Amino acid sequence: MSDYVSLKDLTLAYDKTVAVDRLNLDIHKGELIALLGPSGCGKTTTMRAIAGLLTPRSGTVHIDGRDVTRMPPSRREVGLVFQSYALFPHLSVFENVAFGLRLRREPDLKTKVMDGLATVGLTEFADRQPADLSGGQQQRVSLARSLVMHPKVLLLDEPLSNLDARLRLEMRTELQRVQRETGITMVFVTHDQAEALALADRIVLMRNGAIEQIGSAEEIYNAPVSGFAADFMGFETILPGETGGGLAWRPGAVVLGHGPHQGEIRGASFAGERREYVLESAFGTIKADVPVSETRFEIGQQVAFDLPRESAVELARID
Amino acid sequence: MFENRAIGLALVLPAAIFAAALFLLPVGILLSEAFQTESGWSVSAYGEFFASPRNQTVFFRTLKLASLVAGVSAVIGYAAAFAIVNLPASSRGRMFGLVTLPLMISPVARTYAWLVILGRTGFVNKILVDLGITETPIRILFTETAVFIGLLQLFLPLMIISLVSAMENMPRDAVPAARILGANWLQVFVRVILPLTREGLVIGGTLVFTGSMTAYITPAILGGSKVLMLETLLYQRVTVANDFVSASVIAMILIVMSFSANLLLKRLATARKSR
Repeated sequence: MSDYVSLKDLTLAYDKTVAVDRLNLDIHKGELIALLGPSGCGKTTTMRAIAGLLTPRSGTVHIDGRDVTRMPPSRREVGLVFQSYALFPHLSVFENVAFGLRLRREPDLKTKVMDGLATVGLTEFADRQPADLSGGQQQRVSLARSLVMHPKVLLLDEPLSNLDARLRLEMRTELQRVQRETGITMVFVTHDQAEALALADRIVLMRNGAIEQIGSAEEIYNAPVSGFAADFMGFETILPGETGGGLAWRPGAVVLGHGPHQGEIRGASFAGERREYVLESAFGTIKADVPVSETRFEIGQQVAFDLPRESAVELARID
Repeated sequence: MFENRAIGLALVLPAAIFAAALFLLPVGILLSEAFQTESGWSVSAYGEFFASPRNQTVFFRTLKLASLVAGVSAVIGYAAAFAIVNLPASSRGRMFGLVTLPLMISPVARTYAWLVILGRTGFVNKILVDLGITETPIRILFTETAVFIGLLQLFLPLMIISLVSAMENMPRDAVPAARILGANWLQVFVRVILPLTREGLVIGGTLVFTGSMTAYITPAILGGSKVLMLETLLYQRVTVANDFVSASVIAMILIVMSFSANLLLKRLATARKSR
């Protein structure tokens, strides 16, 4: 089962603009995959193609060994939790969760719906209307509505982006729990690297309709392959290396106060345990942060700094 | 809204007086004629009106054509509205403009165009004869079919506009969500689109039904005296027969039918919703 969901040479386009160009991706059964990238990178388009909401210009989509490329979404056995939740406002919470089960004419409807609501902790909301629920609750209804169908793949579009910080952590834990308990294959789309790092077994970093890098959270975080990947993973200073490729430093790796280079402090801000500085130098703009216990620098001050070779990450490409 | 209610009242008063004196009062006088006989107040004029087989035919024809136009425009309207809402934003505006364009052309001009198209030597008959479907041109003008076509073309934009705005208010991903949950297109329509656009359908349906029922130019030109509708019959009673009693009876019937159509559609919409 190394290729439970398999995308081969997938090309997707809206009218004349190609959104995804010959993308190849294999997803294992039970895996939690994040499609990560900035807006316009093709991550949502790829997800919609797996769901069948978009017909590829070329290439194929296989789910569990079946070629579903030309199959309508209704027959693909996938679930999708929309960013907007997409609950049916004219139906109660119970009927929203029952929607797909009714279409399948499943027996024991009531038990299955209530079990689904229990999974997301909303049994007492069964008779409410979606409009009476908070955003977080609506999302859980949307999750339950998909889960009761026992889809082969559960797709989630920016599942945490509409929630406030506290709910975000709650939902993240919830998704991990559901995934652990059901063993379902999950693909979620996000533009937030922290979300992807925290949740995903594997991260698919996308750029301009193609895959930039695939790897575990630690692999991508510690060994980005390109300037783009490094930038997305929080490396703020990226410079070309002597032997081609590049070197990248996180703000925390920059040494301030001594070193061979000179720069001028252009910005300084307090961030709890650390102080963040922006300095202008011969290398361009450099971001650094140092513990508040160290010497404090003022805006306009000239400081020496160092970009230590040993704390840099080597990049295969600088772009 | 106003600190002093009197100011608000004073602002409404001129318009209210205008409407009462120049609209409600004359209409009231006109309509009351239908209840006046030599021996006093009575509804006998209505009995006499419906006793005539010709009037019955006209009444049921009007009801039938108006319902048919409303029904068919709903079917075409849903398809057109769905297509328009799903267009990319740039071409959506253009398409919507194209749909509403006929509303900016005089109904007289539009109806005369149908005379040319549907006539014995018109475009439609030419194709039918050329294709060998009929040997001689068939009669389309001055039939119910011609009136139906004319009314449909006249009022379809109103239905499309109502349904487009209703569909734009649907949650953005409701339709794809239903499809992913296993609904085919028919199920998507019945279980999601229809319930969520009911109010638009009621508004569009009322506009098209009352519009078709009270249209004068289209049935007059395309139906003539062969296919009388209530409105053309009313005109005929007044101008040809100088029969103001029948005319006000017809006017009353039209008013009652318009209101009932709206009430009925609203009832249908709410009855389903509370289920």
